[in-house]
Amino acid sequence: MKTILIICIAFLGFSFKQDVKPQLVTIKTSAECGECKERIESKLNYTKGIVFSELDFKTQVLTVKFKPTKVTLEQIKQIVSDLGYDADDVKANVDAQKALPLCCQPHGMSK
Amino acid sequence: MKSIFTIAFFLISFAGFSQLKGVIYGKAVNETRKHLHNAKITSLITKEFVETDEHGVFEIILGKTLPDTLIFSTFGFRNDTLIVTNKDRFSIIEINLYENQILEELVISYKKTTHSISKLKTLHVEELGEGELRKAACCNLSESFETNASVDVNMTDAISGAKKIQMMGLDGVYTQIQMENIPYMRGLESAFGLGSMPGTWVESIQITKGTGNVVNGYESMAGLVNLELKKPQSMEKFYFNAYGNRFGRGELNSHGKLNVGKKWQTGLFGHASGLFSEVDNNKDGFRDIPMSKNASFLNRWNYSGKRMEAQMGVNAYYESKEGGQTGFSASRTPNLYGVTIENKHVDVFAKTGFLFEKKPYQSIGIVYNLKYQTTHAQFGKRIFNGEEKRGYINAIFDGIIGNTNHGIKGGLSFVFVDLTQKLDSLTLPRIEYVPGAFAEYTFKGLRFTGVVGARGDYHNLYGFQFSPRFHGKFSVTEKLDLRFTAGRGFRVPNVIIDNISLLATSRNWVIEKNIEAEVSWNLGGSIVQEFKFFRRKANISIDFYHTYFENQLIVDRDIDMNNFYFSNLTGKSYSNSFQTEISLPVLPRFDVRLAYKYLDVKAEYGGKMQQQVMIPTQRGFVNLAYKTRNKRWEYDATLSVYGKSRLHMVHFSPTEHSTDNMSKVYPILNAQITHVFKKWDFYIGGENLTNYKQKDALVDPQNPFGSYFDATRVWAPIQGVNVYVGVRWKLKSEKS
Repeated sequence: MKTILIICIAFLGFSFKQDVKPQLVTIKTSAECGECKERIESKLNYTKGIVFSELDFKTQVLTVKFKPTKVTLEQIKQIVSDLGYDADDVKANVDAQKALPLCCQPHGMSK
Repeated sequence: MKSIFTIAFFLISFAGFSQLKGVIYGKAVNETRKHLHNAKITSLITKEFVETDEHGVFEIILGKTLPDTLIFSTFGFRNDTLIVTNKDRFSIIEINLYENQILEELVISYKKTTHSISKLKTLHVEELGEGELRKAACCNLSESFETNASVDVNMTDAISGAKKIQMMGLDGVYTQIQMENIPYMRGLESAFGLGSMPGTWVESIQITKGTGNVVNGYESMAGLVNLELKKPQSMEKFYFNAYGNRFGRGELNSHGKLNVGKKWQTGLFGHASGLFSEVDNNKDGFRDIPMSKNASFLNRWNYSGKRMEAQMGVNAYYESKEGGQTGFSASRTPNLYGVTIENKHVDVFAKTGFLFEKKPYQSIGIVYNLKYQTTHAQFGKRIFNGEEKRGYINAIFDGIIGNTNHGIKGGLSFVFVDLTQKLDSLTLPRIEYVPGAFAEYTFKGLRFTGVVGARGDYHNLYGFQFSPRFHGKFSVTEKLDLRFTAGRGFRVPNVIIDNISLLATSRNWVIEKNIEAEVSWNLGGSIVQEFKFFRRKANISIDFYHTYFENQLIVDRDIDMNNFYFSNLTGKSYSNSFQTEISLPVLPRFDVRLAYKYLDVKAEYGGKMQQQVMIPTQRGFVNLAYKTRNKRWEYDATLSVYGKSRLHMVHFSPTEHSTDNMSKVYPILNAQITHVFKKWDFYIGGENLTNYKQKDALVDPQNPFGSYFDATRVWAPIQGVNVYVGVRWKLKSEKS
C-alpha cells in the first residue's frame, strides 16, 4: 500500500513537472565496442529532445537523458533499433544490423 | 609459519604492478605484415581488456592471479591466445595474427586525445591532437601553441606583426620545425613562416624537448616540432571553414579528398585570408596590425601498394603585408614610414617507403624535398631581398638486429642550399652542400629503453660536424617514467633574416665579418607521473633542460644605444629551462591544466652576463576545458601570466634615455566556446580578454625616420580585446 502511494506521488510529481524535468533512463543494448559507441552517441546526441546519451560498451548499457515532451522512450529505442542494435525489448532492425561493421554485429567482439 | 611468510611474500610481489607490453601484427593473405590498430587483448581471468594503439602497441596490467591467458582478437583475423606467467611480467611480446579464411573488413578507429605526453616514446614528446588544436580556432600555427606552455609565441616587432616561437627561452630558429619529417620553416621562412601554415590543415603537432633523433638532421638544438597535416587516407571528405574577427580579418579554408583508383588518394587544400581595413586603436599613428593578403594551396597524393607506399605533394604560398603609419601605401606615399613584406614559396615534397615481404620489420624510406622561396621586406628606407633554393634528400633504413628488442636505423642525407640575402648595399650569398650519414641504435628492455645515435655531416663551409645524441627512458613503475636526453646540434645562422625585425628601428647594424656556425649542447630530463584522480587519468610532469652554446650568433643590443652588434660568441651563453605541469580532470569532462615555467637565458650582453632581452624569467599558465555530456558544447579558457623581462635601453632625446628597462607582469586571457552540430560547428572566441595593452610599444612614433625611433621594444599585445566568430562545415568520409 505504502509503495503504491509513493508511486502515485511520484507519478503526480512527474505529471506536474513533465515539461520541465528531463528523464534519465538506461537501456540495455547489444552494442559492444567503441565503434558502436560512436555510432549511437553521435546519432542520439543530435536528436531533438535528447539532452545527452552515453554508452558504456563494457556493460552495454546506454544512459539517455531526454525531455519526454519532445521525444519518447519508445522513439529512442526505435532509433537505436534502426541503427542496428537491440534496445531492451525492441529488437534490432535486421537490415541495419547486417550493414554494420563486423565488430558491431551481435557478439562481434568475441568472434 | 614459514609458508605464511612465503605466501605473504608472494602476495606482496604480486600486489606490485605487473605490466606486459607488446606489438600486434596482422598478416593477410598476399599482403605484408602490418601493425594492427585497436586489436583487443583480454585477460581470461580478470576479463579486463585493452586495445592496441595506431602502431599496434599495447600495454596491459596483468592481474594478481598468474598464470593467466591473454586472448588477442580483432576482426578479420583469427584469434590467438597466450599463457602468461609470473616470469613474463615486464616482458615485451610480439603477436602475429593471421587472416580469416573469409576476408573480413577491419575497422580502424582511434581515440582522440587532445593533449598528452606519449608513454611509449623514448623521447619526451608532447602531442597536440585535433581537439587541442580546435581550442584556438584562429588561424595559423602561431595560435596553435596558445593552449600549450612548452612553446612560447612572441611578437618580434610592433609593426610587421610577425610572430616567432620560442622553446626554452631560445629563439625559434634553434627549434627544428618539420612538416611530416620534412624540413619546414628554415632559412628565409624562419622569419615569417608561422603564418604560412593554416591551422585547419594541421592534424596534430608533436613537440619534442631537447635534441631530436639524428634521423631528422642536425638542426634541432632546443627542440623539435613536427607538424602532421591531414592526410587523404584519414581526412574529411569535404571541409569548409570561415572566420572573421573584430579587426576585420577574414579567412576561408577548405579541403577535400578524392580516391583515384584503388591505390591512389588525393587531398586538395586551399586557404585565403586578409585584413583590408586599417586598425589604429592606440592612436599612435601606426597600424596596430598590418593589412595583409594571404593565399596558400596544397595538393597531396598518397599511394599504397603492396610493397611500396608513397606520398607526394606540392604547396604554393603567397603573402603580402603592409604595416606602418596609417595611410601608408608602398607605391603612393613615400614620405610615410611603412613596412611591406612579401613572401612566396613553392615546395615540392615526396616520401617513398619500401617494405620487405619476408622481413616485415625492415623498411627503407626516402624523403625528397625541393623548395624555392623569395622574401622581400622593406622597413622604412631599408630594403631586404632574399632568395633561396633548397634541395633535400634523406634515405633511412629501418631494421632490427636479431630480434625486435634491438632496433637499428641508418642512412644518408644531402642538403643543398643556395641562399642570397641582400640588405641595402650589403649582399650575403651562400651556397651550402652538406652530405651526411647517420646511425641510430635502439634498445628496448623491460623497463629501460635507450636510443643512441650519431651523425656526421660534412659542410662545405664549416667543415666536418659530428652530432652525437642520446635518449633514454626508464619506467620506475608502470605510471612513473623518467627520461633523459643529451645531444649536440648545429646550424648556420642567417644573420639578416633571422633578425629581420630588428630593422624596425633607427639603429645601425654592425656585423662581424666571419660569422661562424652555431653549435650547442643540450641535456635534460623529465619525470612524468600518472595517477588516478577519482578514477580519472591525471598526470604531473617536471622537466629541466640545459642548453650550452659553443658558438652562437650574439645580437648585442646593450653595448650602446645607436647600434645593434652581431658577433660570434666570445664568452658564455646558456639557457636553463624548468617547467612543471599538472593535468587534472577535476570533474568528468572538465580538465584543468596548470603549468609554471622558469627560464634563465643568459649570455654576455653589454659586457656582462645578463638575461636575454624579451625573455620573461617566469610564466604561469592555466587552461580550463569543459565539454558537456552530449559533447555538443565545448568551453575553453587559457590564462597565461608572463613575468618581467629585460628590455634594451633606448634614447628619447640626446640627453634622455629610458630608465625603466624591465617589462611589467601581464596576463593574457583567451577563451572560446564551440557548439557542435552534426555537420556544422560554430565557434565564438575572444583573445586578450583582460584587454592588456602595452602603451609604449613604439619609441618616438612621431618621428619614424628620426634617430630615436624603435619598434622592437615590444613585449605585450598592442591591440586590445579581439573577438572572433567562425563556422566549420564538414562531410565525414563514409565508413566502410
